[in-house]
Amino acid sequence: MSTLKHHPDTAMLVEFSAGTLEPALAICVSAHLHFCDRCRNELLRLDQVGSQIMSQSEPSEVDEQLFDKVMAQIDNLPEQTQNPKPARSNYYPALVEQLIENTGEELSWRKMSPSVDVARLKTGQSDYEVALHKICAGGKTPKHGHSGREFTVVLKGSFSDENAVYTEGDFLLKEAGDEHQPMGAQNGECICLSALAAPIKLSSKLGFLMKPWLRINPI
Amino acid sequence: MLDTKITVIDESKKCMPRASVISTEKRSDRWSLLLVQVGENRDRKAFAQLFSHFAPLLKSFAQASKHDGWFPGLSEELVQEVMIKVWQKASGYKPEKASATTWIYTVARNCRIDMLRRKSNTQHLPLENEDFWHEPDEETPVSLLRQKRSEDKVQASLEQLPKEQDEILRKVYLEGKSHAEASEELGLPLGTVKSRVRLALQKMQILVAPEFRDELI
Ligand SMILES: [Zn+2]
Repeated sequence: MSTLKHHPDTAMLVEFSAGTLEPALAICVSAHLHFCDRCRNELLRLDQVGSQIMSQSEPSEVDEQLFDKVMAQIDNLPEQTQNPKPARSNYYPALVEQLIENTGEELSWRKMSPSVDVARLKTGQSDYEVALHKICAGGKTPKHGHSGREFTVVLKGSFSDENAVYTEGDFLLKEAGDEHQPMGAQNGECICLSALAAPIKLSSKLGFLMKPWLRINPI
Repeated sequence: MLDTKITVIDESKKCMPRASVISTEKRSDRWSLLLVQVGENRDRKAFAQLFSHFAPLLKSFAQASKHDGWFPGLSEELVQEVMIKVWQKASGYKPEKASATTWIYTVARNCRIDMLRRKSNTQHLPLENEDFWHEPDEETPVSLLRQKRSEDKVQASLEQLPKEQDEILRKVYLEGKSHAEASEELGLPLGTVKSRVRLALQKMQILVAPEFRDELI
């Protein structure tokens, strides 16, 4: 049973369930669900809401040929091979493994700061940069603000900031302008998945004060 | 600040026992039984019955879409695609987990999004929508008791929602509007849209621990 304390909010789960959540954020929610049976349960019930809304709607007459068309296509389906699941390491949640595989040889770890490495994942999204972050054991990161909203899910290990300790599966949201100073746990490196929004242009004093920690360069 | 944290921990513990209740109750509604037959025996007659019940609902679900780039001609294409997927994937259907109606709805939702993504040139997502719903290998005990009870209740409680809450849920689930799009369309602040959705879900007893979630928002 999970003891996670940091979850996506209801609005995000609803959008995930309805399929309207932006893909980069859905990737983070999906990674959290891998660890969180409580949110998985909630999602099952949210799916029931969608299904009941669908089944309450006025049925719409379909072309009478449609069933035959479907059966004809079914007859022509290639012989079903027993889901050839690609061999994956299972080190990360399946969706993250899939993204790593898709990024392929272009996956490269770059130093962000002495204790943080970053590797960008290819997702085809331009609004968010999705990346893996590695904080070395006991690594201190510089106190930093955020140039845009940033969603983070802990995949391995743990880290802490002024507010809390975050362990595997925990889901965090930092709004643009929020400041914090994450620190890697002493007992091992910490790996996180993150989605960072393309910076919004801030013309206020706040924008001037902020030191963006990450620079976004969508692929 | 510290106080809030302590409450959060307590609440999460409080809801844990509930979530681990396991029921051995079998799902016995007609559609779920038919879907099992399709999965186990490739039963065409059962499939025909599912088709005549679900195809018109799926078409109306397709027609309700207000996604950018969606047009009515896609509706029957979606029905076809969904029903073929139902045939192909039926052997993986687990009746103890979801009713046939919910299971077919999730197939339809995923198909609808994938179809939109395929047709749009701006998105190059290297994933299919069902990839987001990957189940971890070890099955976690699902609160089936709660699950079944809520499934029976959802329909009834939907009908009792105030119009404004019902309207928003429809926009979100049928039309496929994000909260932000719904807020723009209805001329309501985003916070109001979110809280209407949350109120509706609380009324329907969908949320695990609504009071706990509210603290996080
Ligand atoms: Zn959760």
